[in-house]
Amino acid sequence: MASEDEVSLLVIVVDVNPIWWGQQAQREPEFNLSKCLDAVMVMANSHLVMTRTNKLAIIASHCQESHFLYPNKHWKAGDVAGDEVSSGSGDGKYELLSVANDLVAEEIRNLMARTQVKGHQTDTLLAGSLAKALCYIHRVSKELEAGQDMKSRILVSSWFPFSSAVYFCIIFVQMSMGIFGLIIYYILQVVKAAEDCALQYMNFMNVIFAAQKQNILIDACVLDSDSGLLQQACDITGGLYLKIPQKTALAQYLLWVFLPDADQRSQLVLPPSVHVDYRAACFCHRNLIEIGYVCSVCLSIFCNFSPICTTCETAFKIPLPQMMKPKKKKLKTAN
Amino acid sequence: MAALSEEVLLVVKRVRQRKQDGTLYLMTERIAWGPEGKDRFTVSHLYADIRCQKISPDGKSKIQLQLVLHTGESTTFHFANESTALKDRDAAKDLLQQLLPKFKKKANKQLEEKNKMLQEDPVLFQLYKDLVVSQVISAEEFWASRLKLSSVEHSLSNNSKQEVGISAAFLADIRPQTDGCNGLKYNLTSDIIESIFKTYPAVKQKYAENVPHNLTEKEFWTRFFQSHYFHRDRINTGQQDIFSECAKQDEKGLKSMVVQGVKNPMVDLLSLEDKTLDEGYGSLTVGPNSSKTVKENSNSAIIKRFNHHSAMVLAAGLRKVILVYWKFNKFYPELNLLFMNRDAPSDQASETSSTDGNSRDSDFFQPPIKKVKLQEAIEYEDLQNGSGPKTIALNLKKSDRYSHGPVPLQSHHYSTSQDIINSVSCIQEEISCYKPCLTRVMPSSAASSAITALSPGGLLMQAGTQQAVSQLVPTDVQSELKHLYTAAGELLRHFWSCFPVNTPFLEEKVVKMRSNLERFQSTKLRPFQEKIQREYLSTNLTSHLDEMIQAAYNKFHAWQTRRMARKT
Repeated sequence: MASEDEVSLLVIVVDVNPIWWGQQAQREPEFNLSKCLDAVMVMANSHLVMTRTNKLAIIASHCQESHFLYPNKHWKAGDVAGDEVSSGSGDGKYELLSVANDLVAEEIRNLMARTQVKGHQTDTLLAGSLAKALCYIHRVSKELEAGQDMKSRILVSSWFPFSSAVYFCIIFVQMSMGIFGLIIYYILQVVKAAEDCALQYMNFMNVIFAAQKQNILIDACVLDSDSGLLQQACDITGGLYLKIPQKTALAQYLLWVFLPDADQRSQLVLPPSVHVDYRAACFCHRNLIEIGYVCSVCLSIFCNFSPICTTCETAFKIPLPQMMKPKKKKLKTAN
Repeated sequence: MAALSEEVLLVVKRVRQRKQDGTLYLMTERIAWGPEGKDRFTVSHLYADIRCQKISPDGKSKIQLQLVLHTGESTTFHFANESTALKDRDAAKDLLQQLLPKFKKKANKQLEEKNKMLQEDPVLFQLYKDLVVSQVISAEEFWASRLKLSSVEHSLSNNSKQEVGISAAFLADIRPQTDGCNGLKYNLTSDIIESIFKTYPAVKQKYAENVPHNLTEKEFWTRFFQSHYFHRDRINTGQQDIFSECAKQDEKGLKSMVVQGVKNPMVDLLSLEDKTLDEGYGSLTVGPNSSKTVKENSNSAIIKRFNHHSAMVLAAGLRKVILVYWKFNKFYPELNLLFMNRDAPSDQASETSSTDGNSRDSDFFQPPIKKVKLQEAIEYEDLQNGSGPKTIALNLKKSDRYSHGPVPLQSHHYSTSQDIINSVSCIQEEISCYKPCLTRVMPSSAASSAITALSPGGLLMQAGTQQAVSQLVPTDVQSELKHLYTAAGELLRHFWSCFPVNTPFLEEKVVKMRSNLERFQSTKLRPFQEKIQREYLSTNLTSHLDEMIQAAYNKFHAWQTRRMARKT
C-alpha cells in the first residue's frame, strides 16, 4: 500500500495534429481521434483511481501549439461542487474523473475550433510539448510539501502517417510522493503519430537528456511506423517503447503496458526492449553508417575519406606508407 | 681437489658422514666433506642452499650436526673425535651460524618475492596452478617474464619509502614504573633513543663524548633521567651535571629562535597578548613588563620548555630536507632561483631556519621570503588578465548539418493544400461534437486479441525468450572457462611474442611453445569440452579458444614451411 507521501504524476502527450487525423479519419473511419481520446481518457481515469495521491496532466500536441488539456489554469480541484460544468455526469462517478473528462473534452473542442489552416505548418510540435511537460513536472515538484516523494513519467502516443508529420503524444507523468524525501520520477508517454521531423531533432534530444537527468521516464506508444527518435528516448530514459499492431485496442495496450509505474514494472512480464539503432548518419549523404571518418576539429562524420573537411575546411595530411628499403640493400650487395 | 682458490675457514678432522670417516671443510661459500684418504669432496653444499642447521641435544652420546637444505634434503655429520668432538662441533656450529645469515638473504629473497606475488594475486596463483603444477610449462619460463617486472617495481617502491617522523610525545611515552622501593624504572627502546638524539642534538653530542669512554650506556641514561635537565624545573642547575651545558645550549637556541622570528609577514606573533578579565568584566591587558611571582616564573619556564621541545621536534623532521637543499644549492646554484619562486620549499626553509636556532644551515639559505608571501597574498591567479594558451577559433561553414538527426532523408509524402484544408475541416467537424463515451471504447474481441499478443509467447513477446548465456551455464563451468582463458592467453602470449623469429633462442622457444599449446589442449581443453558435452551444454563455449589455438598452429606451420624452404 502506497503511503500518503508517495505522489505519482503521469503526463500524457497526445498528438492531435488535425491534418493527419483528418486524413486518418478518411482512411480508416473506425479509429479516429475521438476513439483515441476515449482510450486516453480511460487510461487517465485508471491512473487517477489507482491511488488517491496520483496526479495527472494531459498535453495536446498540435501543429501550431502545445496545449494543456488538463489541468486547466482556471480550474482548481476544490471547485468541483456547485459548478454547472460538473452536472453533466449523472452516473455517480468519482467526481474528479467526471470533471477531468469534461474538462478534457471541452479543451479539445476549443483547440480544434480555433485551428486555422496554414499550409507550411504541418509538423507536430513534439519537442515543444515534451519540454512543456518537463517544465510542468518541475513546477509541481517544487510545490510538493516537505517530505513528499514524486515519481513521474511521460507517455507519448504517436502515429506515423504517410503524409506530413503528425505527432500524437500522450505524456503521462506520474508523481509519487514518498516519506524519504523528494524523489521524482517522471514518465512521459508519447503517443506519436508522425515521422521524425528533422527540424526538431536537436530540441528533441535536449528534452530527452533533460528528462534523463531528472529521472523522468519517457514511454512511447507508436501506432503506425517505428520511430527511431522515440526508441532512443525510451532507451535513454529507461521507459518502454511499444508499437501497437491493432489500433482499435489502444486502450487495452495502454492499460496493460503503460499503467504500472516504474517500480511495479520490474515485477511484471512486459514486452522486451527493442534493439535501438544508434548509428550515426554521415553528414554528406545522411546514410546511417557503422564505420566512418570523423574530422578531429569539428567532429563531423563522413562516410568517405576526403582530404578537406567540408564543414570546417581543415586540410589533413595523410602520411604515405614507407618505401621498402631493405630490398634496395639486397640489390646492392648482390652487385 | 676442489678449487683451492677458496679460502678454508675451518677444518675438522674425524668427522663421519654415512658411516665413513672423513674431514669437514668450511669455506667462504660452502661447506664440504671428503672421505679419509680421498682427494675429492663427496658432499658439498653452498651456504645459500642451506636452510638451517640442527645439533643433537646435549645429553646424547653421539655428537652430530645436521644441515637441512631448502630442497628438504638433510645431511648429518657425526663428530667422532673422542676428546674434542663437542668442541669441534660447537666451533663448526658457531661458524655456520655466522656465515649462514649472509647467504640466506640472497637465496630467500627471490623465493619470498615469488611467494608474495602468488599470494597477492589470486589470478596469478590460479595461472601458476594451471600451467606449472600440471606440467604444461616449466617454472622457469613462468617466472622468466614476471620477475623482471616485479623487481623494478620493488626498487621503486623501496626508494620512495617515507621517513617516519618523530612523535611529539615520545618523552612522555617512556612512562616510568615504580620499582617497588622508591625507585623508578624507565623503559628505553632504541626508537626512543633515536628520537631523543634526533630532537636534541646536544644530547647526542654528549653521548658521543662520554660513552663508552667515561660512562656505560646504562649510566648515561640514568644520569640523564636524574638530571634536572630532564625534569620540569630547571631552576637548580648549579650542580655539576653533564647536562647543564645542554640546558644552557637549549636556552641559547631558544633565544636565537625568538630573535629570528617568523619570516611570514602575514603572521604577527608580537601582537598576541594576554587579556584577563578586570573588575566589571572589562578586559585588562597585562603589560609585558609587570613583575612576575615565583610561581609565574616557573609556569613561564614550563611553557618555554614546551615551545622549545615542539620546535626541536619539528626541526628534526625538516633538518634532513634542509640538508638536501643545502647540498643541492652548493652544486647547482641556479636551482636556488627556482626555490625562491616556489612556495613550498621556501616555506620549509624559513620555518626550519627559524625554528632550529642551533642549526648552521640557515645561513646558507635565505631566499626573499617576505616578498614572496606578500605577493601571494595580494594576487589571485584567475583574476589576472590571463593570457592563456593561444586558441584558434572554430570556423564552421555548414553548421546546420549538426542539427539533423540520424534520419536518412526520405521522400516526404506531400499533401496538396486542398488535402490539408479537407482534413482540417473534417477533424473540426468531428471534434466539435465530441463527447467522451467511455463505456464503448473498444470491442471485446480487439481487447482479447491484444491481451493474447501481450501474453508470454504472443506476438509482441518474442524477443524476451532468449536467455543470456550466463544464465544457462552453471557458475562452476563459467569459472573453469575463465581459468582456461587465462591459461590459454598466457601461453598464446608467450607464443606470439616469439615472432618475428630472429635468434636461435626464439626458434627454440617457438617450437617449445607449440608443444606446450598442444599439451594444454590435450590435458585441459579436451576434458573440459567432453565435460560440457556430457552435461548437454552448448559446445560453442570453447569455439573461440579453439580458434585462437588453431590460429597459432597455422602461424607455426607457415613459419616452419618458410624455414624449410629457405634452408633448401
